[in-house]
Amino acid sequence: MNVGEIPILSIVTFSPLVGALLVAVAPARYARPLALAASLGAWVISLLLIIGFDPGAPAARAFQFREAVEWIPLFGIQYKVGVDGLSLILVVLTTTLSWISILASFGPIKDRIKEYMVSFLILEVGLIGVFVALDTFLFYIFWEIVLVPMYLIIGIWGGVNRIYATIKFVLYTLVGSLLMLVAILATAFAFQAATGSWAHAFDFEKLRAASFDPNLQIFAFLAFFLAFAIKVPMFPFHTWLPDAHVQAPTAGSVILAAIMLKLGAYGFIRFALPLFPAAAHTFAPAIIVLSLIAIIYGAIVALVQPDLKKLVAYSSVSHMGFVTLGIFVFNQQGMDGAILQMVNHGLITGALFLLVGVIYERTHDRTIAKMGGVAAVMPVYAVALGFFVFASGGLPGLSGFVGEFLVLLGAFEFSPIVAAVATFCMILAAGYLLWMFQRIAFGEVSDFLKGLGHHLTDMSPTEILTLAPLAALTVVFGLFPGLILDLVRGSVTAVLGDASRTGAVEISPQVGLVLVALPILYVIARIIWVARIDLGGGGGGRVADGDAHGGTHGEPVTSVEAVS
Amino acid sequence: MIGVGLAAPFTAPLATLFAATTEGEAGAIAGGAWDMLVPVIVLLPLAGFLFTAVAGRRLGKRAHLVPVGAVGLAWVIGMAAAVGSLTGSAPFGHEGYGHTIYTWIQSGAASQGGFVVDVGFFVDNLTACLLIVVLTIGLLVHVYSIGYMGHDPGYWRFFAYLNLFMVSMLLLVLADSFLVVFVAWELVGLSSYLLIGFWKHKRSAALAAKKAFIVNRVGDVGFALGIMAIFVNTGTLNIRQAIAALTGQVATFGPNPRMLGDGVDPAIPISIVALLIFAGAMGKSAQFPLHVWLPDAMEGPTPVSALIHAATMVNAGVYLVARTNPIFASAPESMAVVAAIGIFTALLAATIAMTQTDIKRVLAYSTLSQLGYMFAALGVGAFTAAIFHLMTHGFFKGLLFLGSGSVIHAVHDEQDMRKMGGLARKIPHTYRTMLLGSIAIAGIPPLAGFFSKDEILGEAWKLGFQWVWAIGIVVAIMTAFYMFRLIGLTFWGESRVDPAVEPHIHESPSVMTTPLWILAVPTVLLGLVLSLPGPPLGPLLGLHGPGLLAGWLEPVFEQGTTLLAHAEEPFQIFGIDGALIGASVAVAVIGVLTAWRLFGVNLGSIQWRPNPERVRELTARAPFLYRASLNKWWFDDLYHLLFMVIGGRMAALLWWFDRRVVDDTVNDIATTTVGAGTSLRRVQTGRVQNYALGIAIGLIVMAGSFLVLAAR
Repeated sequence: MNVGEIPILSIVTFSPLVGALLVAVAPARYARPLALAASLGAWVISLLLIIGFDPGAPAARAFQFREAVEWIPLFGIQYKVGVDGLSLILVVLTTTLSWISILASFGPIKDRIKEYMVSFLILEVGLIGVFVALDTFLFYIFWEIVLVPMYLIIGIWGGVNRIYATIKFVLYTLVGSLLMLVAILATAFAFQAATGSWAHAFDFEKLRAASFDPNLQIFAFLAFFLAFAIKVPMFPFHTWLPDAHVQAPTAGSVILAAIMLKLGAYGFIRFALPLFPAAAHTFAPAIIVLSLIAIIYGAIVALVQPDLKKLVAYSSVSHMGFVTLGIFVFNQQGMDGAILQMVNHGLITGALFLLVGVIYERTHDRTIAKMGGVAAVMPVYAVALGFFVFASGGLPGLSGFVGEFLVLLGAFEFSPIVAAVATFCMILAAGYLLWMFQRIAFGEVSDFLKGLGHHLTDMSPTEILTLAPLAALTVVFGLFPGLILDLVRGSVTAVLGDASRTGAVEISPQVGLVLVALPILYVIARIIWVARIDLGGGGGGRVADGDAHGGTHGEPVTSVEAVS
Repeated sequence: MIGVGLAAPFTAPLATLFAATTEGEAGAIAGGAWDMLVPVIVLLPLAGFLFTAVAGRRLGKRAHLVPVGAVGLAWVIGMAAAVGSLTGSAPFGHEGYGHTIYTWIQSGAASQGGFVVDVGFFVDNLTACLLIVVLTIGLLVHVYSIGYMGHDPGYWRFFAYLNLFMVSMLLLVLADSFLVVFVAWELVGLSSYLLIGFWKHKRSAALAAKKAFIVNRVGDVGFALGIMAIFVNTGTLNIRQAIAALTGQVATFGPNPRMLGDGVDPAIPISIVALLIFAGAMGKSAQFPLHVWLPDAMEGPTPVSALIHAATMVNAGVYLVARTNPIFASAPESMAVVAAIGIFTALLAATIAMTQTDIKRVLAYSTLSQLGYMFAALGVGAFTAAIFHLMTHGFFKGLLFLGSGSVIHAVHDEQDMRKMGGLARKIPHTYRTMLLGSIAIAGIPPLAGFFSKDEILGEAWKLGFQWVWAIGIVVAIMTAFYMFRLIGLTFWGESRVDPAVEPHIHESPSVMTTPLWILAVPTVLLGLVLSLPGPPLGPLLGLHGPGLLAGWLEPVFEQGTTLLAHAEEPFQIFGIDGALIGASVAVAVIGVLTAWRLFGVNLGSIQWRPNPERVRELTARAPFLYRASLNKWWFDDLYHLLFMVIGGRMAALLWWFDRRVVDDTVNDIATTTVGAGTSLRRVQTGRVQNYALGIAIGLIVMAGSFLVLAAR
């Protein structure tokens, strides 16, 4: 720690914890204002960080506001935090979305408000911690802390099938993160073996400078990859996301989409790439293919979602595909675009979940088919929805476009074919978004909405207040993406430098063939097996609902005409 | 010399005005003043949009004041800029003038091949021509809408959207970077979406709006990829620099490692770049096979159809190809594709227009057809002819659409021509102006359409594209036919108007008819003015030199024309050119007479009765062609089957895959683990120490195995 300086990063990280303690001891009626005050406090301090941050600092001083304290000296584990441009922008994104989410919870959350706010503030601590940690063990601790409050938020304040969704979410994430812990320990062992001392064996900056044995890189990268890919989520590890989103309360969905998905992408850029660059090169082609699948597949599946929240969830899969694509093409435009896309997805998808919450609060329903003519009864809402629909569809001038275009350009430099496939998503995105918008906002007012009568009020001032900052930032970052790009320039240069340090680890063609062929064979076999069950039971195309978990699998397959 | 003399009276007063506004103050700072003023052309409607979006609802019937005022002011500045450019005065000069406003995107250092996009404007004579069309028709449509939308509850919203459209369209023609053009490109798509779906309670309008945006996006994918290809090839997205680099005018541009040295083929072949750009143009200008959105776009209010879907936005594709003409000229095979798509669209749309009964749809298919002519002109290398037709068509098609709006207004929102007839006397201003527009589009001299269309057809022949000429001549017959079918059904013959509406038929207020008469002026004169002193009339009058427009656009198309290296044959009025003109006029007359025979005429002393029996007989004789035309060659049905039905099934199948294969695999793994866990239950002792021990052992084993593997 820099002696004589205020440990400002720790203050940002733990000020929500102080707030949580206050909420816990104060009477329940103060829970809302106290929580909001705490999150606003953290937000203001995080903005001070931006002012104090020097984007032009030399590479050696890339991480600023550093603090380092011995924690478990026996193994060289430190409490070490610091931010570079990338972490900083994500910290600010977290603090911003946190107060917005807390404010958005004021109305909807009525039971156990105290516990809810405590969970939410602890969640914020974990999220900030992940972004500031510079010690791999500390990173892991924060990574796991995040799970607990989110588990509670979905499990307690969620929808009907919340238990299934939250257990799935936690177990799935845990599988990945435990493997990551093993990889973290393995790298520490390797570092200790190489240097003969445990000192700094978990220190990210030291580990980054070391170059690990190719075999270790391969296995450690795969472990990190699994943890991060589940979190992003990348195809085919994405199926927890729609379930979690559908069951989570609105603010939970907002944080889940806006911040938690970024943990995975951040992990790739911060840890997986710099620590194991050779392995990253080895697996990059496979990850690019998975990203392309996510982009197209997420968009196509979003097209036929009858549930508004699921539609946005699948659109997240598609959008996050752009992030992983941008990261793994290993060039400036791709990486810049990926980071922009992370921020923009946080703003825009966060806002879309808020908007889903607004309509759900009034109708207690999210079925798109039941809506219609909302523009006539809730004009302000329709404008807001339209704005973020177009923002999400990558309308130029708004922030979504710049990130997406930079990723596509980076992909084009890597391979025009890859870019062409990804660019095709522009059509699909316009398709699912505009179709959804048309069915909700346009046409005659639906009977379902008419039945609600005067309960169907337009957006309240509080709701507008939660969305206005997001809309403003969407415009500002669309016109001045340099605000972000200038901030993260150093981080991008550093990670691209790490990536270009080595070539790929060669893996034998036989192994590669097996790795590709086995999943494909499994999928084919599984399709045949499942199709026989589903088609045997009834007429063509109807899906039997033979699933033990119920509910989450209940929707029958609907063709496009039937939903429209 | 006489050419200059003729041009001067037309431009001199405006040039003086221009000189008084800028050069009069101080010639040296003229550039500086335009650096501010040109962005203001875009900012004015932007301010109008923002103001009306926020405060318009409260302004009621006065909501139009700010938007119309903003566009009016923008028109003044825009015309000054256009005249400044066309007269070649400072700072525009011969080559045009541009200025960078700010750096929008910077990803990586420019010196190391980074991606840098500057937002700036560039005004040359091509921009000037577009500014004239966009601002003039834009302003007139704004004024007209005061009357047309007067009773609509969304009055303020309509003007806000119109202003947003003006922002987008002006940005499109002023931008000097491909990516900024793309921004404007999508923004015009957005404003078009908002305006087509303006009557949001109408399901058909909402569907048409969505269709327009998505079909446009198909073209935009091509355009976006084209932009990426341009950057990868040249290292810049500045339009002029990129074109110069692509066409080998400069071997390298700046210290850019991405730039390719002499003799190295670009990473992406230039013909691919050209075709990708053309894909974008096909979407916005509704060329086959992306033409299906434009007729549906007629769901929007009629002023929108006039402004966006006839006179301005749909010209964006033509503008883009003309702007990038050296790229196309460097790849002749791409030019052939442009010509083929263009002339095919012209033919396809004309066949459909012949049988449609909705007055606006006839005009919509006519627009498709005329846009096809423009692309055919671009494709054969007659760039000036394409822009000529863009300008004349913008005015007379704008007039025809506004006229159709006046008709629809008169007969109480009826658009079916079978329920019109005999309106000539009841709405005389509308009738007369629309008649002028129809004569113009039919290609009867000396109205505007004759000059521009004849130049396209003549050039096609002379540049060696006889097949384009041949198809174009057939389309010309059809054009004259369907336009006078429209006039005959609407204005002549017996009234078929609903008897309940009949007594209430009335001419539109002057706020609507005045724009019609103003548009009638260029509809009649523009062809003459822009073609003199050049062919076809110049030589007859003993004048020499290129036409006014050709002179203006010469610097813009110089490089493209040089690359194509066409032999310039002198104009021979008593040779091939005269014959071609004769053919054009003859087919136009044939088309008009055929329409008169079938649908009647009532023009002074010419009084023919309509002949519905003959129409029925003719349609019965070619039932397939008739049904094909009536059903728009089934493209909508085909696309519905492909994308909605089959595509929808595919999407549903993929979702099934998502749940039953991907998700159930995850669930099965979990279930299996739980099953295994149950059988291992006796391991669970309930003592935390045991767990901790187990975890520690497990971790050490795992980490150890990593080390063993790593050490190998």
